[in-house]
Amino acid sequence: MYKNKKSGIIGIIVTIVILIVIVFLSNVEVGQLSDAQNVFTSLIMPVQNGLTYLKNKLSGNDSFFTDINRLQEENEELKQKNKELEESLRELEITKNENERLTELLGLTEKYSNYTTIPAYVINRDMNNYSNMIVIDVGAKDGIKENMVVIADKGLVGHVVSVSDTTAKVQTIIDPSSTVSSTLTTTRDNIIVRGSIEGESRLKGTYIQPDVLIAEGDSIETSGIGGIYPKGIHIGVVKQVIPTKNTTDRYVWIETAVDFTKLETVLVIE
Amino acid sequence: MKKVGIIIAFFAVFLCLYFLQANFFTWFTIADVMPNLFIIFLLFIGLFAGKKVGAICGLVFGIILDFCIGKSVFMYGVMLMVVGFLGGLLDKNFSKDSRITIMLMVIGMTCIFEIGIYLISVLLLSANLEIVAFLRTLLIEIIYNVLLTIIVYPLFPALGYPIEEKFKGKTILTKYF
Repeated sequence: MYKNKKSGIIGIIVTIVILIVIVFLSNVEVGQLSDAQNVFTSLIMPVQNGLTYLKNKLSGNDSFFTDINRLQEENEELKQKNKELEESLRELEITKNENERLTELLGLTEKYSNYTTIPAYVINRDMNNYSNMIVIDVGAKDGIKENMVVIADKGLVGHVVSVSDTTAKVQTIIDPSSTVSSTLTTTRDNIIVRGSIEGESRLKGTYIQPDVLIAEGDSIETSGIGGIYPKGIHIGVVKQVIPTKNTTDRYVWIETAVDFTKLETVLVIE
Repeated sequence: MKKVGIIIAFFAVFLCLYFLQANFFTWFTIADVMPNLFIIFLLFIGLFAGKKVGAICGLVFGIILDFCIGKSVFMYGVMLMVVGFLGGLLDKNFSKDSRITIMLMVIGMTCIFEIGIYLISVLLLSANLEIVAFLRTLLIEIIYNVLLTIIVYPLFPALGYPIEEKFKGKTILTKYF
């Protein structure tokens, strides 16, 4: 137990602050620093403007003080109006988000019109750092079966590994246990794409034949070999080629077409 | 509160942690690494309610997790059972009154749990063995779990001792003599 209650509370508060700072710093990207600048500017500039305004008024205009009562009334009215506007804005935001989701699903269905598909929402994600499963809101009652392929608007997501009546568990292609037989879109050479625990939206391409020419930016799609994934579904693009002393060991890092951190809507191919 | 009431309370806390872990901590991450609240919770149960309760709670909660999101049944079940059981064993040899001891226990339990889960994934579910990436993730997770332990530590003695009295009331003093 803490020997001193006050220092204990301070310790906890300091730890929470440190945790928030670490989480923020570990997730911030260089491009986001301009946003931070904007935040500071938007925090400081209104105060600065207010002070300048006050200084100007005090230095030469007495009517500023006589108008305070009128301004207060006006302020109250404006606050009320602002509240009403904020409420309507919230309602509009909700409608807009719903509309976007439905449009996305419609777009998905049209894009993969040659497949019979079942639309679904992602309702749960894996809670472990060493696996990457998702749960979708369709199950056996909707006609979902094991090994059905799951796709999103930009490419392959994974395949169904188990089904309940109303939900299905999907093993994503970024799961470390996932292996997909793939093809380079340009040269039609086959490689094996594996999931990795080294960050989300990243795959490792291995078993590259020594004579295969592979470069950054090459597109990768499913080869159709293996019996689960149909041919020609986009997986991602080569982000980095890692050369090794032995050319048979070389591998590539592939950036997935699908952003798994923001995955919300998917289609299950029947 | 009777023992049954405490067990129901454990289950309610487990549900809260589940939703916290599945929603909040999937985006509140350190370098894309989540903490594991279940390890801290099962260690707490093991320490204060004993190894039997710890092991049973670990098994039940783990199987629920396996059904909800796991790749295979009993993966989380077995490992959380181990954490609950070891928590009970650690109680015999170490003091629960020291923050540092609890933090060291969390470090040890996180290592055991995650190494176990990863070994099961590699050996039984043919996951790729990536030792460097695994160690990096494990290290960040340990740091995250320790930080959370510092934050929730005051709850350990405050809630733990009444629970300990209910579950180990008759034997609570005999172990010191």
